Amino acid sequence: MEMTGSHAEKRLTVTTELGLHARVATSIARKLQNFVCEVTLVKDGMEADARSVLGLLLLAATPGSEVTVRAEGPDSQEAITEITRLLEDE
Amino acid sequence: MNSTEPQIDRPNRRHEPSDNDTNVVLKGIGVSGGIAIGQVVLIERVTTEIFPQCMLGPEEVSLEVDRFTDAVKEAAAQMREIKKSMARRSPTDDHLYILDSHIMLLEDRMFFQGTKDAIVKDKVNAEWALSEIVSGIIKAFETIEDEYLRERARDIHFVADRVMGILTGGPAERKLPQLPPNSVVVAHDMSPADTAQLPRGRVLGFAIDMGGRTSHTAIMARSLKIPAVTGLEKITRRVFTGDTIIVDGTTGVIIINPGPDVIIRYRDRAELYRHYTQSLMPFGRLPAVTRDGAHSVRIMANIEFLDEAPVAREHGCEGIGLFRTEYLFMGRSDLPSEEEQLAVYRRVVEENAPNPVTIRSLDVGGDKLSPVLNLFPETNPAMGLRAIRLCFARIDLFKSQLRAILRAGVYGNCRLLIPMISGLQEVRRTREILEEVKDQLRRDGLPFSEQVPLGILVEVPSAVAIADLLAKEVDFFSIGTNDLIQYTLAIDRLNEQVNYLYDTLHPAILRLIRYINEAGQVRGIQVAMCGEMAGDPLNVPILIGMGLSELSMNPLSIPLVKKLIRSVTIEECQQLTRRAFKMQSAEEIHDFLETWLMEHFPNDHFVSR
Repeated sequence: MEMTGSHAEKRLTVTTELGLHARVATSIARKLQNFVCEVTLVKDGMEADARSVLGLLLLAATPGSEVTVRAEGPDSQEAITEITRLLEDE
Repeated sequence: MNSTEPQIDRPNRRHEPSDNDTNVVLKGIGVSGGIAIGQVVLIERVTTEIFPQCMLGPEEVSLEVDRFTDAVKEAAAQMREIKKSMARRSPTDDHLYILDSHIMLLEDRMFFQGTKDAIVKDKVNAEWALSEIVSGIIKAFETIEDEYLRERARDIHFVADRVMGILTGGPAERKLPQLPPNSVVVAHDMSPADTAQLPRGRVLGFAIDMGGRTSHTAIMARSLKIPAVTGLEKITRRVFTGDTIIVDGTTGVIIINPGPDVIIRYRDRAELYRHYTQSLMPFGRLPAVTRDGAHSVRIMANIEFLDEAPVAREHGCEGIGLFRTEYLFMGRSDLPSEEEQLAVYRRVVEENAPNPVTIRSLDVGGDKLSPVLNLFPETNPAMGLRAIRLCFARIDLFKSQLRAILRAGVYGNCRLLIPMISGLQEVRRTREILEEVKDQLRRDGLPFSEQVPLGILVEVPSAVAIADLLAKEVDFFSIGTNDLIQYTLAIDRLNEQVNYLYDTLHPAILRLIRYINEAGQVRGIQVAMCGEMAGDPLNVPILIGMGLSELSMNPLSIPLVKKLIRSVTIEECQQLTRRAFKMQSAEEIHDFLETWLMEHFPNDHFVSR
């Protein structure tokens, strides 16, 4: 993870069973309700607001896809940790 | 129409110029039988074209944002209300969770914040901003390869339509407030929320652009016994509210603005249909015993949804010969839990007790479940990783289904049917897994039935060839004719170039059925048939002549089949079977059976025209 002040960024591989599907997307959006940082997911140059379920679904990230999580704000590191857990666990 | 209809200037009405012609015929898929003649109530999809763009002054922008925010709040409140009333009516309804996900979409940033941003940035009215945002989202979804994800575009439509309805102050959220009697509902698509709100009793029929046999409207129409045709593609663009329309749900034909002679003809036909189905209903309550009392057949129903079970019982089924479980697994992004499955299986078993309910384990190809299972695409799914093979590959999925079925067995008479068995190893492996599952259930201290019989769907030719061996290791056979014919004759039914060769009465098929039945009888196990073949009266005498003792079919076929069985004697059926087995082609056999029925029962309409 690379960090400078309130900016954090991490590349990771989606390993959840179904990829970034409705259930995972919903969990991410819900989780971020308790955060103040702006979080963006990037896949193949396409960006999505991590608080939008629709946006996340549109990334069509299947298992094994590489995504970059980018966060901007005071709690960005924690946000990235949470998202990593949701995309890599289960 | 009611007076609250929005008075919006509609520069280009959505319809193509009305066909003033009478007798415009459209063909769709007949998904619920019977004939309806009534007046069109067009449920328009609120679309972008009918809302003109208005530019706002600087002071109007924040008011417009508020108006949009209020509309979204109102939409959420309405949907929660619908969900509550649906939950009261049918707490196990599969659609509750769809409504939940729709409510969540309302709050989605892309949708909610996106529209607000567009109002501010472009200084336009909320309707315009919303339609721009929504069509952008939908376009983006259309490019996705994953079928499940692409389908989510429809959810956004339903949600956006509701908000749009509130914004325009129009017939709010597509409510169907004043359906006059004799209404035929014409719509592009019906959401679960729409169908839940239909005032029962005023709708005579449905004509829908989208959908097939398993669409939501189709299922509801069948359970309410309302004629319905789906898959019409463009009917919403061809009719106006108030047009006269005929819906023939048996043939899938729609006639818009029928001429007087056509109306009279269809009225007669509708009357005949009603009379005919009603006069048949009493046969449903009688046992299916041949006229001489020598042979009795258990008549069962094939069903897919819980809603269908009451209709099946009304038509006289003596149990469920095939309960398909695929729908539990489809159209969702995760797998159904054991408890969720148990709730469904338990209800169908309980409701039909003491009659048997045959639950078929998951019978789909990996292709249908790829969003959930993430399997590799196959070049030939029909012969690929499907049914029991898929269950062995995903043992977790199989075990949770088996656990749910065994647990449901406590509530009545439940049987387990395994599809696509091609050899003994698969039966033995299934038994092993069943034992493991039972051990686990014992350890978990959960009640389950030890007596759930294990049967196999005989549909792969290799299984027929070793039916004698299989009969020693299973508790019953069920012949799945649809796939058996397809695999035996090497014909893809959906391929229009070759499907003329698909012959139920092919001498090869009849010989296979006779052999399966004999192999079962030698070991004293039950042999049933659950393919479409069993529900066509034309085939019934020969099936009885071969000695089948259980037929499972589309519920609506039951009364007619029972009537036929009660009309014949076992001896004449056996004689007919001997003669048919001397014939050399499907065509010859078909003609022979048809002539036989018409000669013996000239007034009973056993032969469909």
